[in-house]
Amino acid sequence: MAKRPQLMAYATLSLISAYCALPFFWAALASFDGNASLFLKWPEDWTTANYTRIFTVENGLTWFMNSLIVVGAATVLTMVLGGLGGYALSRSNAWWKRPFLYTILLIRVVPPPALIVPLYKVLLTANRAVQEVLRAVLPPDMLRPAMRVFGLVDGYLGMILILTALQLPLALWILKTFFDTVSRDYDEAALLDGASLMQRIRLVLLPLALPGLAAAGLFAFISAWGDFLMPLIFISSPELQMLPLGLFRAFLRVNTVDWGFLTALAVLYMVPSVVAFGFARGFLVRTFGGGVKG
Amino acid sequence: MTGLQLTNLSKSYGGHRVIHDASLTVHPGEFVVFVGPSGCGKSTLLRMIAGLEEITSGSLQIGGQVMNDVNPAERGVGMVFQSYALYPHMTVAQNMGFSLRVAGKPPAEIAARVAEVAQTLQLTPLLDRRPAALSGGQRQRVAIGRAILRRPKVFLFDEPLSNLDAELRVTMRIEIARLHRQLGATVVYVTHDQTEAMTLATRIVVLRAGRIEQVGAPLDLYHDPANTFVAGFIGSPRMNLIPAEVLGVSAAGLDLALTGLDARVTVPGRAAVGDRVTLGLRPEDFDPLGAAELTLEVDVVEHLGAESFAYARGGDLTLILSARGVPEVKPGQGCTARFDPARALLFDASGQRLRP
Repeated sequence: MAKRPQLMAYATLSLISAYCALPFFWAALASFDGNASLFLKWPEDWTTANYTRIFTVENGLTWFMNSLIVVGAATVLTMVLGGLGGYALSRSNAWWKRPFLYTILLIRVVPPPALIVPLYKVLLTANRAVQEVLRAVLPPDMLRPAMRVFGLVDGYLGMILILTALQLPLALWILKTFFDTVSRDYDEAALLDGASLMQRIRLVLLPLALPGLAAAGLFAFISAWGDFLMPLIFISSPELQMLPLGLFRAFLRVNTVDWGFLTALAVLYMVPSVVAFGFARGFLVRTFGGGVKG
Repeated sequence: MTGLQLTNLSKSYGGHRVIHDASLTVHPGEFVVFVGPSGCGKSTLLRMIAGLEEITSGSLQIGGQVMNDVNPAERGVGMVFQSYALYPHMTVAQNMGFSLRVAGKPPAEIAARVAEVAQTLQLTPLLDRRPAALSGGQRQRVAIGRAILRRPKVFLFDEPLSNLDAELRVTMRIEIARLHRQLGATVVYVTHDQTEAMTLATRIVVLRAGRIEQVGAPLDLYHDPANTFVAGFIGSPRMNLIPAEVLGVSAAGLDLALTGLDARVTVPGRAAVGDRVTLGLRPEDFDPLGAAELTLEVDVVEHLGAESFAYARGGDLTLILSARGVPEVKPGQGCTARFDPARALLFDASGQRLRP
């Protein structure tokens, strides 16, 4: 009889899990259904046509690669800046440390739509400057492709910088808190061992910081990957279109909703986040112990 | 071999001074121990020598060269941290060879030197393990090995044994003493444990509140402390410090009223009538044949095996006596503790020693 409460707990948890998993299950099934509908049903004719259509008829590959390049670069940049900044913030005793940390947290508090107008104004002005510089150094026919990469509005660089700026506060907090737990003795031992700053970072701090970097990187990637508003405002060229906008526009485009195509796109959109989580998970649990005591 | 010279070394954080004009000469090959209660600045002073803390003023010389602004790695010092600070993601061999690796030495040379040092410290079977798979004592040895490998001129130890259990502490203490003899290196060692200081040091530096109180060989500090702080800090159990007032001065010495004990004794010494002084008596100074006499009531008797100590009350003071010197002590009973007045130490009102 002692097992009964446990059984009840499992039953309740299973029910909740099923409830949570159901939409994903529906999306996965519908994406392979040639005749998908809004209702959960076992596909009658299994097909991969929905997926093929994304890459052949639509510009699915472009959307996907654009998202991957922009979000990937923003994640790497966030990890580098967050790692260096978090380390500095953890080790510094400067009086402005606390005010600074709370100020950058405020950036997370401001709703992103409130930032759009000033951000757009700033980036547009900077974009003109970038354009002038590129115009001066590049032949005219190279200007357009170069602006697609280096442009601050409707360009990779602008998108990368915006996403990085939005993710950086949380990354700084995570990494600052993480470095607080990494003993200063490691830095000092390496200093006495004659390691240069770069050697200390590369050989000692980076391996020790991997779990913190993985956490910060994961949050940055997932959050940036899911960002819809910034690509909507700052990207207009079809060839720079990112995945969330592709999904959104596919949803709006036709009179009747093509559930199979949309769910295939949604599944595709989910995959990188899941992969990122699986990849980071290994690092998250890999914490080191035993180097210092007391 | 290399010595150290500290001249008026000071350290301030903002306006707050934590080390006050520390001056000290450490001779080549000497084992010098900085000892003092926590917060006395002993670790800060060590870190200033290592180059991990900036020197606010004064000069630090290692091997005759001024090192105030020299990079820690170039001062020729090797340091063993209280926390060991072994790199947890590296094996024992990688930990020990790290300094050579960052110096760009060829792997074969690193391996050879690691093997050599591992041999001395009996670490050879552990070379492929990570720090997490080592016991406290083994980690300590690896930390020492890492310092030795750099062939430093001066070894700095920052409370290296404080994380070990009591038994291991004794073993490692002996090992460190043996290693010092074997390497013949100059050692500066920080501890708050006066037993460690007494057993390891050729000379002890007693610090309090950022000032050097006294420097001397262990037994010199024990028998001839310069002030009540050193008298109370060095020795275990600690010295009995009894407040007293000088009632009279005669050829036989000072006639003292022991405040709190309600007793009068005559001890040799120099002071003026009316002076407030402190009488210092080690637990083992009590002796059945002594001329001076105190009437006390025994509270507790501690049997340590080789020796027993009685905690005895007289008025509002509790004195610690070696039971050997006081016949028939039993808890809850009165006793007469006698001592030889010539063995008593006298300190003035500010705590400084009054020498006869």
